Amino acid sequence: MIKRRELDQGLGDMQRLLVEMGRRVERALTESMDALKSLDVLEARRIIASDSELNAMEMQITEIGAKLMATQQPVAKDLRNILAGLKISSDLERMGDLAVDIAKVVLRLEGQQLIKPLIDLPKLAEMVCSMISGSVRSYLEQNVDLAYKLDKDDHEVDALYSQILSELFAMMAKDPAVISQSMLLCFVGRYIERIGDHATNIGESTVYLVTGKRPDLNT
Amino acid sequence: MQALIEIERLNLFYGSFHALKNISMDIPEKAITAFIGPSGCGKSTLLRSLNRMNDMIPGTSTHGSIKIAGADIYGKDIDVEALRKNVGMVFQQPNPFPKSIYDNVAYGPRLHGITSRHKLDEIVESSLRGAALWNEVKDHLKRSALSLSGGQQQRLCIARALAVEPDVLLMDEATSALDPISTLKIEELAQELKAKYTIVMVTHNMHQAARVSNQTVFFLNGEVVEYAETEKLFSNPQDQRTEDYISGRFG
Amino acid sequence: MNRLKNRIFTITVWTVALCVILFVFALLLLILERGFPSLTWDFLFGLPSEIEEGGGIGPALFNSFYMLFLSMVIAVPLGIAAGIYLAEFAPDNAWIAMVRICVEGLASVPSIIFGLFGIALFVEMFQLGLTILGGAASLAFLNLPVITRVTEEAIRAVPREWRHASFALGATHLQTIRRVLLPASMSAIITGLSLASGRAFGESAVIILTAGVTTSGVMWDFNLLSPGETLAVHLWYVQSEAIVPDAQQISQKSAAVLLFIVLAFNVVFRIPAWVRDFRIRKAA
Repeated sequence: MIKRRELDQGLGDMQRLLVEMGRRVERALTESMDALKSLDVLEARRIIASDSELNAMEMQITEIGAKLMATQQPVAKDLRNILAGLKISSDLERMGDLAVDIAKVVLRLEGQQLIKPLIDLPKLAEMVCSMISGSVRSYLEQNVDLAYKLDKDDHEVDALYSQILSELFAMMAKDPAVISQSMLLCFVGRYIERIGDHATNIGESTVYLVTGKRPDLNT
Repeated sequence: MQALIEIERLNLFYGSFHALKNISMDIPEKAITAFIGPSGCGKSTLLRSLNRMNDMIPGTSTHGSIKIAGADIYGKDIDVEALRKNVGMVFQQPNPFPKSIYDNVAYGPRLHGITSRHKLDEIVESSLRGAALWNEVKDHLKRSALSLSGGQQQRLCIARALAVEPDVLLMDEATSALDPISTLKIEELAQELKAKYTIVMVTHNMHQAARVSNQTVFFLNGEVVEYAETEKLFSNPQDQRTEDYISGRFG
Repeated sequence: MNRLKNRIFTITVWTVALCVILFVFALLLLILERGFPSLTWDFLFGLPSEIEEGGGIGPALFNSFYMLFLSMVIAVPLGIAAGIYLAEFAPDNAWIAMVRICVEGLASVPSIIFGLFGIALFVEMFQLGLTILGGAASLAFLNLPVITRVTEEAIRAVPREWRHASFALGATHLQTIRRVLLPASMSAIITGLSLASGRAFGESAVIILTAGVTTSGVMWDFNLLSPGETLAVHLWYVQSEAIVPDAQQISQKSAAVLLFIVLAFNVVFRIPAWVRDFRIRKAA
């Protein structure tokens, strides 16, 4: 076996960055949900500011990918590894943006009281958090089974999300005064659900990396 | 796609060395098929079986069949000269004869009995145009072919092969002795030629196979390991040995 | 230190080379200078004389050319054919290896051996006596191995790629030999022929034994059965046996003529090859 040092090192760097991005996205989601629960505006601002680091990491991954493609002529699994890495990094970057969107809702709610204690939204966020770590692990371990499990998780997320929507709609119908806050909470639900969809995309990239096939894990 | 060349259970020996082991494959017409693999894997041997140039190596024995347009080229009644006229070949080193550019291209047609000056002029021009060399040499056809650059010489050799109107063009590492620009020109030419000819190329440069060919065949130790659409073979090979070889982790 | 060694070596080589060249040129000049000034047409085309002064070398000079021509007519086709056979068709076995060794051996056998063979064959066996025919045939035997060898080597030296290119275009073996191998090796073959011609022209031992030291005594005698003394033999003859008073001058002039002609052969034969090479090089 001939070692391709440049290529292997680049691929290793990409993988480390992706795992780190995954960790940060997970944290951003958890923290923005905590900020929402306590309507902590300062914390929300900090979360929004720290998104630039994720963006920088995505940029770094794109650069590594471009460099490897230009200089190493990767083919087969090496090529799929780079393509999957690029796709995953952009999914993670989008997930980070969605966490930021949740933090922005906190800013909009500044000075208000929550119309009800949050129970289902944090639960939804928790489910999606475990999807994030599952998706990143499936990539790291090149574990196709873990990737396919994301499809199932996503169904549960979707179910809980539509239940949350129904509840919020019902509240709006009863009391027009809560409409604006309810709308914002709907958005939060939507953002979390979207993060879950991106997690299934990461699973798809993993399957492509391992098998060369492109499945649909968001059925 | 229609298969022009059908190889069936081909076994080839150099003396006691088993160089090709039970090869079966169909090569489609009017497309570029690339043979890749490490040195000594049999890819050149198979290429040279297609116009029976292996016959020139003493001690070679061939079993099985190769059909080109339905006719078994190892059959009893085959006319080897007619076969080679139909299956042209371009070699690793540009090998124009020490004759004029014109005489190089006219060499084949003259062998096969064309003597009319007018007809020869026509063939020389159309062949040189076919090989994308006409504009560069039309004003000095009488010049020695050895005065051309390496890349031009190789295109002249392609023109010389086209002049006998073959159906198949074999390229045996035809760009390995050329600089990158000349290499790209030949690759581009191959892309144009596949509209009219069935091209089979052997290359050490798998990125060339990836750039140019429609199908790629990976050989190892005289066997076909994998035969697939080029795009598929290079993005998602099915065999681990192919994967190792094309990703440069072989050996 | 190495630089110094290098210098010393270079200077030595140059000095030796210069000495050799000077020696050769001096020799040439000496011979030509002694013979040329007194050359006349009468001498070149006149008949020899046995006792008086003023004999010419006409018949001997004519015989030189005539026999050379005859020997080449015999040796060139046979030699080239044999060379082609050995290079292209001969199987790779012990028998052919032996043939090759024999050809090589014959090429370096002293010419007098061929003369003795000529006597045995033409004088003794066929009872022809000393004749132009016997001399020319013996000369041909002398040159045959050389020409065979030169041809084989020249054809073998043609790059393999050209041979392959020709076969790949559907040429037969014969077509390939005729249209690629022979043209490409022609300049080497011609060089070989010119060397062989020069050798044949200056040959004396074979001629003395098979064609004799006399001529028929008339000019333009094409009769194959006449005795065939050549210029080289004549030179030896006047120098060692003749009783004419001007033997010294005759031999000097003959030597000059002989030398001039051999030099001319070397130049003239090579002109076509030079022109070809020049054309290819100019274009390149």
